[in-house]
Amino acid sequence: MKANKIPIGPFHPLLEEAEYFELTVDGETVVDIDMEIGWMHRGHEYISEMKTFTQSIYLVERICGICSTSHPLACVHAIEDIDNIEIPLRARYIRTLVGELERIHSHLLWIGLAGHFIGYDTLWMWAWKYREPVLEMFEIISGNRNHYGMMRVGGVAKDVDPEKITELYKHLDMIDKKMVMVAKVVRDDPVLKSRLKGVGVLTHEAAVAYCAVGPTSRASGVPWDVRRDEPTDAYDLVDFEVIVLPNGDVYDKAVVRVLEIIESGKIIRQCLEKLKTVQGPIINNVKEISPGEGIGRYEAPRGEVFHYIRSDGTNRPIRHKVRAPSYVNIPTFTASCKGIPIADALITLASVDPCYCCTERSIKIIDQKHGHQQIDLLKSSREKTERIRREIHGN
Amino acid sequence: MAEIEQFLKDMGGKITNKIEKKKRLYFNVTNDDLQDIADYLFNKMGCRLSTATAMEMYHGLEILYHFSLDKTGQYFCPRIVIKDKKNPKVNSITSIVEGAVWIEREMFDLWGIEFIGHPRMEELLTLHHPGTVKKPLRFREVGA
Repeated sequence: MKANKIPIGPFHPLLEEAEYFELTVDGETVVDIDMEIGWMHRGHEYISEMKTFTQSIYLVERICGICSTSHPLACVHAIEDIDNIEIPLRARYIRTLVGELERIHSHLLWIGLAGHFIGYDTLWMWAWKYREPVLEMFEIISGNRNHYGMMRVGGVAKDVDPEKITELYKHLDMIDKKMVMVAKVVRDDPVLKSRLKGVGVLTHEAAVAYCAVGPTSRASGVPWDVRRDEPTDAYDLVDFEVIVLPNGDVYDKAVVRVLEIIESGKIIRQCLEKLKTVQGPIINNVKEISPGEGIGRYEAPRGEVFHYIRSDGTNRPIRHKVRAPSYVNIPTFTASCKGIPIADALITLASVDPCYCCTERSIKIIDQKHGHQQIDLLKSSREKTERIRREIHGN
Repeated sequence: MAEIEQFLKDMGGKITNKIEKKKRLYFNVTNDDLQDIADYLFNKMGCRLSTATAMEMYHGLEILYHFSLDKTGQYFCPRIVIKDKKNPKVNSITSIVEGAVWIEREMFDLWGIEFIGHPRMEELLTLHHPGTVKKPLRFREVGA
């Protein structure tokens, strides 16, 4: 049987980012998938070795527009790990506050995109509407809506003033109420449930074998969360629950994320409360880094961000390794996509919240039976949702 | 920590140059023992492979694997030193850890290290690169 290749991308208007997957389909069923990365050569690791430690923090902040706290935080953790540098208590709370705000805005962004992919544009508009006040909170804290420039070796760059805390509380109160509503929509809507339940299942065994991280693995019953397992910053000083669900389907991945948003709200509230009373410096003056090696990691919204830094005692690293969570989550498609209908492929691929800044992209579909045929994944995904909606609600 | 003590008791004969820090254990292993160590860490102890880091040093190429024991936050980092820079070869651990497939291909691409037993030993980043690529991409001192 002759396979036909139909490239969509690497830069296709259908895709929100450039991406590359190679689906092999037999009629309506996905029988194989291959992923290819590396079309976007960015050279962050190599560039970092030509920068000072402080400059590297700004560099890695720009690896990803969404994780612009997670990468610098993991980077400073790695540098601090070389010399076991202590962080002032106030700085620990500020780091945790910024990290959790990032989790909320990243998860809201994903929920919006997931709604868009399955034809629930109302969910998309709501989620992104309520993401705005989170970005405003970032602006209040750092002066920027993105790329906050908050992290430094030994602490943070900016303090949070008391009058800002009052303003942050106002935003947080509003966000908390709306998040309860979004959580209710995601968990209770019958169409959404029917559309996502049992779709793109990643089993517990596969999640462990592929070393998946973050909500992708926690939705498959793998209970690891860096915030609890190796608590840095103020995570050992605040109460929160690690959300773990057993089924591994897209629905559980969505529910893990909405429940994590609510947990993040709780953590932020505890941090703000502590920032009212905990006073003191926000940074330890670190003058030099000893020769040695350090590992830093942080539980980014998508999972563990890993940085390894090796120092020879000068002011710049001789090796800086970066591993984003999508790097280990994207290969799980091999396990979760085989055998699913093509209408479910798009939402399954989106379910790990892949960060394509670090990857590559275009979709080329090989249809083994139907010859040369371009398949619009978004269209077929939305048609399936509409079919389910009609079955449940009628016309 | 009990896990480190047990690991050193069972695998202590296969490791050298041990460096112990807070929640970090770095040690050297030989190519022959790498798979045994990976099997012990991944299957017996329940570690997760975070990633692996290759780097070029004066004495050769180094590969540092990062196994995370998530229930305690402990890292076990076996290090392989390859002295033959012109023809670097190491046993693959993909038969033990499925999650090592991409990172081994990436190290092949960047440093030219061939992983013996890898199911798909080809480039990860430059597989269908349209132009001519000088490989390995990050090798500066070939033959030095």
